[in-house]
Amino acid sequence: MAILTVKNLNFTYALGTVQSLTDISFSLEEGDFCVICGATGSGKSTLLKMLKRELTPMGELSGEILMDGTPLSELDDRTAAASIGFVMQRPEQQLVTDKVWHELAFGLENLGLPQNVIHRRVAEMASYFGIEDWFDKPVDDLSGGQKQLLNLAAIMVMQPRILILDEPTSQLDPVAASDFLSTVGRLNREMGLTVLIVEHRLEEAIPLASRMMAIEKGRIISFDEPGKVCNHLATKPDLLLAMPAAVRIYNAFSTGDECPITVQEGSRWIRKNFRNDIKELPEEEYTHADAPALEMDEVWFRYGRNLPDILKGASLTVYEHEIFCILGGNGSGKTTAVSNAAGILKPYSGKIRIFGKDIKEYKGQSLYKDCLTLLPQDVQTVFLRNTVGEELADAGAVADMLPYDLSAYTDHHPYDLSGGEQQLLALAKALASRPKLLLLDEPTKGLDSYARNRIIDVLKQLRDEGMTIVIVTHDVEFASLAADRCAMFFRGEITSLDTPRAFFAENNFYTTAVNRMTRGYYDRCITVDDAVRLCSMQEGGGK
Amino acid sequence: MKSFKDYNPRAVFLFFLGVIVPSMFVMDPVLLAISFGGAVTLHFTLNGRNGFKGFWLFPVIIAAGLILNPLFYHNGATVLFVLNNNPITAEAALYGLVMGLMISGILLWFRSFTTIMTSDKLLYIFGAASPKLALMLSMIMRYIPLFRRQISKTNQAQKAMGLYKEENTIDKLKGGMRVFSVMVTWALENGVITADSMVARGYGVGRRSQFAIFKWRKADKLFLLLAMVCTGITFLTIARKAIGFTFYPKITRVPFNALAAAGYAVYLLLVLLPVIITVREVRLWQSLQSKI
Repeated sequence: MAILTVKNLNFTYALGTVQSLTDISFSLEEGDFCVICGATGSGKSTLLKMLKRELTPMGELSGEILMDGTPLSELDDRTAAASIGFVMQRPEQQLVTDKVWHELAFGLENLGLPQNVIHRRVAEMASYFGIEDWFDKPVDDLSGGQKQLLNLAAIMVMQPRILILDEPTSQLDPVAASDFLSTVGRLNREMGLTVLIVEHRLEEAIPLASRMMAIEKGRIISFDEPGKVCNHLATKPDLLLAMPAAVRIYNAFSTGDECPITVQEGSRWIRKNFRNDIKELPEEEYTHADAPALEMDEVWFRYGRNLPDILKGASLTVYEHEIFCILGGNGSGKTTAVSNAAGILKPYSGKIRIFGKDIKEYKGQSLYKDCLTLLPQDVQTVFLRNTVGEELADAGAVADMLPYDLSAYTDHHPYDLSGGEQQLLALAKALASRPKLLLLDEPTKGLDSYARNRIIDVLKQLRDEGMTIVIVTHDVEFASLAADRCAMFFRGEITSLDTPRAFFAENNFYTTAVNRMTRGYYDRCITVDDAVRLCSMQEGGGK
Repeated sequence: MKSFKDYNPRAVFLFFLGVIVPSMFVMDPVLLAISFGGAVTLHFTLNGRNGFKGFWLFPVIIAAGLILNPLFYHNGATVLFVLNNNPITAEAALYGLVMGLMISGILLWFRSFTTIMTSDKLLYIFGAASPKLALMLSMIMRYIPLFRRQISKTNQAQKAMGLYKEENTIDKLKGGMRVFSVMVTWALENGVITADSMVARGYGVGRRSQFAIFKWRKADKLFLLLAMVCTGITFLTIARKAIGFTFYPKITRVPFNALAAAGYAVYLLLVLLPVIITVREVRLWQSLQSKI
């Protein structure tokens, strides 16, 4: 019997005019792993909230949701709370208590279980998740990835039968995100847990899935095995954009065979369908301007006298009018490097020059006036007002000068915008001070592919208008599309620096999915566009 | 190994109560000297070399008592010398000294108390009365550092984005006010999501239970028993007025008897219990280590 059945579900938000969900019907078997995809605002998150009774928003609801054949609304409170688990987006906000062990016990305390039962379950879950080492720690000491794992563990102690996850990895770095997703996959495989997940990182989530659901404007447009869903997306450019690279390349051609999903399948598919007579795209020579915008010369930095060095003689030169991406793992010192460049942190040795002038010679606030702006990672720290309109007026931003339009949101609260819109609003504020040098820290964190592409377009336009842009990012795909030059940061210094094509072609692991897929067959092929162009250039097209 | 810090918080709490209460209410130089000595030994057992940091305060307090009290109070029969036509008496000086001992002793005990009693231990102690209160305290404990960090992040972000346009105090204050006011919104917003996360995990479905990682081991019970017996005897001697001093007009001690001797001895044992435990643990550990 199906563990979860949804029949003819319709939903309209209490103050909404449009129906958010229309005629949703599907069912999941015990142990299914279902990935839900859809553009921002398509109703994915609303659907997930319908399935967790405690979180269902106010509004007009019709249709049926059954768990094990019992309507959700008829379950008793304890069963409803315990048997459906819900993980949300931001790891920080979901934590309730101050200690790891207390967080793990929180749900069981709510159920009023006796001390010894709680102790057993908490111990069991802590060792399953490998969090014994931080059992006694305050939650504040954990990294983002650890916090999200703790959130998951704190739900798993309640022994749920269905686990719902709403973009759980959007705030995590790629390594932590992989860890998290593979843990969810393991729970699904080893415990037969039923999983419903909304994710941006489809490259990693789809291979785990047994079911995939595509949603558009509140309707299910496809619900099937992942391979079959991916087969039918050629006519849906919005949805296709978010798909794994192999699926996007596949959908650019009509070969009629089975749709590849993973890098391995994509690699096989390309070798089967296309020759490699032409191995490389014609190279476009990149020349940078002569004048440097930002120079770091042997910069050394540490956070305290007795703490280790974070920057160890970091040197780099960014020239005017280029988009420069700094990539690197967690704790490699990327963010510290831009904070130094922005004058927020001061190095204990070495020189930093902004447009040829020593950063120390910018007195008072003159560095931040018409010269340099740093947009931090957490854009929520940027907003100070209650509406978008006030926010822009406050910063002195002229709406006409922006390369994009925010007027539709004038009366919205900044926090109510989607991640992509928040990023654009923050950027608008940053641009208001007319910087010549723009520093961005992880601008694509939490964004879907559509929003990411939009940011890329905006940044390229700004560069063409004469701005210099330095971006710190984890996002390899983003850097491959946006950057003029890329640098790798490792243990506090730059280890390699090149144009994206050369940079990623030289890397084996720290590179794009397309590059891994075409390695050894095509040379210097790093983006989906590259691959599609190369494939269609081959003699006679397909084999 | 189990050090004094790891003993059951409820036992440790009662121990501190038993030590601090007599030194707060009994003006007896001997008792207060014992208390101060115990506080100093515990302080250095806990902190080691780092204990010297800020320790200068205590000799200063004691010296201040000794010097200042006789300057302002001129009671007492034994005049040491006359300063500006005011008699400086031995009684007032001793009283000041004892006062200084009391204040610095109590301060030191509280310092150790806060080192040992981390937030989760306090929750465990007071949570028994109300699991709801315990949860609330735990949430506050989590929110304060979170809030503080977000404020400093916001301030930095605003600085690098040119919020603080001019280099003057008024502008700085204005900026600071705006950051603070937006933090309130941020906290509310955050709170809504945290509340969702709580409800999603069954908060409010029924009577909450309380989980704690602390246990009652044999050693905890033994320690508690010993501490209670010592405290009991000390209180008894105090109640029987076997301990006590009058300073004015002349320093006189209540007649000394066996009970008073027992009281002092037992209180000495009480204040030294943490050190005794620590020494025993170290010894035991050394002997166990030699077997490994």
